[in-house]
Amino acid sequence: MRLGRVMAVVEKEAREILRDRITVGVALAMPLVMLFLFGYAISLDVDDVDLGVLDRDRSIASRELIDGFTQSGYFRLKRDYLSAAAADKDLQLGAVKLALVIPPGFGKDLARGEAAPVQVIVDGTYSATANLVAAYARTIVSRFGAGTPAAPRIEVRVWYNPALRSVTYIVPGLFGVILMAFPPLLTALAITREKETGSIQQIFASPLTPAEFLAGKLVPYGMIAFIQIIMVIGVGFVWFGVPLRGGLGLLLGTGLVYVFCTVGIGLLVSTVTQSQLAAMLIALIVTLMPSFLFSGFLFPIFTMPYLMQLYTRVFPARYFVDLSRGVVLKGAGLPELWPSVLLLLAYTAAIFAFAVFRFRKKVA
Amino acid sequence: MAWRLLGLLAKESIQFLRDRVMLVLILWLYTVEVVICALALTFEVEDMPLAVVDLDRTAASRSLVETFLVTDAFAPAGHFSSATDAERSLQSGRARIALIVPEGFQQGLVRGQPVPPQVLLDGTNSNVAAQARAYALEIAARFSALSQGVSSRPAGAVPVIRVWYNPDQTYTSFVVLSMVALAAMMVGVFHPAASIVRERESGTIEQLRVTTIVTGELFVAKTLPTLVMGLLSVFPSLLIVWWFGVPLRGSLPTFLALTAIFLLSAISIGVLVAAISRTLQQALLLSFFGLFPIMFLSGTVAPVESMPETLQTISLASPLRHYMDVILGIFLKGAGFAELWNQGLALAAIGAPLFLLASRIFGRTTLQGG
Repeated sequence: MRLGRVMAVVEKEAREILRDRITVGVALAMPLVMLFLFGYAISLDVDDVDLGVLDRDRSIASRELIDGFTQSGYFRLKRDYLSAAAADKDLQLGAVKLALVIPPGFGKDLARGEAAPVQVIVDGTYSATANLVAAYARTIVSRFGAGTPAAPRIEVRVWYNPALRSVTYIVPGLFGVILMAFPPLLTALAITREKETGSIQQIFASPLTPAEFLAGKLVPYGMIAFIQIIMVIGVGFVWFGVPLRGGLGLLLGTGLVYVFCTVGIGLLVSTVTQSQLAAMLIALIVTLMPSFLFSGFLFPIFTMPYLMQLYTRVFPARYFVDLSRGVVLKGAGLPELWPSVLLLLAYTAAIFAFAVFRFRKKVA
Repeated sequence: MAWRLLGLLAKESIQFLRDRVMLVLILWLYTVEVVICALALTFEVEDMPLAVVDLDRTAASRSLVETFLVTDAFAPAGHFSSATDAERSLQSGRARIALIVPEGFQQGLVRGQPVPPQVLLDGTNSNVAAQARAYALEIAARFSALSQGVSSRPAGAVPVIRVWYNPDQTYTSFVVLSMVALAAMMVGVFHPAASIVRERESGTIEQLRVTTIVTGELFVAKTLPTLVMGLLSVFPSLLIVWWFGVPLRGSLPTFLALTAIFLLSAISIGVLVAAISRTLQQALLLSFFGLFPIMFLSGTVAPVESMPETLQTISLASPLRHYMDVILGIFLKGAGFAELWNQGLALAAIGAPLFLLASRIFGRTTLQGG
């Protein structure tokens, strides 16, 4: 491996990247667009859920219960129904997400100290929030009128994100997703492009060794990726006000390792395919989707079936999302996080070894 | 005219079918990816690792711990002897929730001056934490009703929760359907974009220019195979959907018709992208760039209702959003044209201008030299 030859490839690649305005623009704008979309659009918080009420009791108690719903901040009274048919229709149309049906005699039953069932109908089409809506409704109804002082109240304290803001948990996870979305894609395209246009033959004919060629490709894309990570981290902390409780050094250090890992995946993808479109789809399947769906970024891993939990271990995004959340939200350091760091390092080394091996086989 | 078109169509279909890797990948998106997602993704809190610290070690404290652990929501992640140990397991992520029963819990219960047990929640995933909090509160309420022991029937208001359209409260049907919609969107955009730009990049467009083919014919030839393929791909995914037990409550022809309208807008986006990019790399990156907002503002990833008003308004321009309503409506709610004409109209309103614009730019940049 000669540095001079690596630098020559780096220079060629850098020139090609800079010449292509669209690519540069997409590479730099995309992470920010994603960050803002996620920051604002992906809110899994429930507030102002449209509530429809069919109050068949019309007593003081039933009105108090409805007030309990509207004053919780989670629900907004939208319709007051006179018949069950009207409530059904609105649920079908999606005009209300939750219908509360209070049967006649609710107030009397309560006063007599008997069980007073209340029907809560939730629109389950968007289960992401339907679960939450049901949980809040459950809490409100079971707290209602349960004013028994002798019962043990439970003290619930939420750590790391006491306001339960979804931005706070989305942004640190997003570092892992964005770095998985673009660097591998750009790298994979950069090499398959040479294959598709045939210029790779010139590379093969030159004295460049595979390792030199790959290293030369890696450096510029690694740098783009690192610019992306700094942009995203900066905007995440400054604009979205996500707290940074751990060390910035640790975050950037592991971020650098992760960037190498993702770029390595891009290299690997480029060794198994000939066309850019296929490279893109493969990159989508092995990088973006897993990092998005199976890294614990949005969906908790512990609820997945065991086999699927194993599947999530195949992709490095999971480890980095853990790391990033640990450092940013929990203020954790190396003593707690070393297993993830170690796994990430091992993963990166394996990916590179495999990519160079595959690439060398092609040359020979 | 008809013969020329047929010839072109044959060429495009051959090119399409020849690329085995692509076919496998597309099939993968429509089937395997859908299966994996449907199996794995749920927002429901299940088996959340719970660290237990029982400082009381009495019958009452054990029964409280038991009440937590018998539910599906929590799974034991170890018993710890001190609160500090439990806190450490939260910090390292081995446990997501910790239940700390203080000393004197049982005594307090007997005396009627209860010492409150403490629940520590890892709030990093706010959605999970909110649900876990509701469960914890409900479990505590149930426990107190039981420990009062007056009657087995708890007094007070009792919630009877019923979830409609998706009674099992699983995320599966939603995930399956949204993945199908996403796959259609992605393939619909990528494929025409790539096939047009590739022709330009490899120079074969010059050969087409010297033939008698007119723009309209080439446009049809480039877009029709994607449309047909997009409609055909619906069937393998229908199998998957059926396999997951997601009901098809509405009618299949309605679904196909609306899918076709939706695919037209996706294809138009692809053609537009192709028209403004010079290299395949640019085209792919641009379509990626365009797909993201379309995807995020569609309700596939997060519900539209919880977005800010401005984004909700912008989301109306995302064809995927209307298509999600269509696909959820037809499958889960059994809606027909009567309920869905709104969405159909919206899809057409988004698709038509895009389609016109795409065909115009396509004509200017492709055959007449760009």
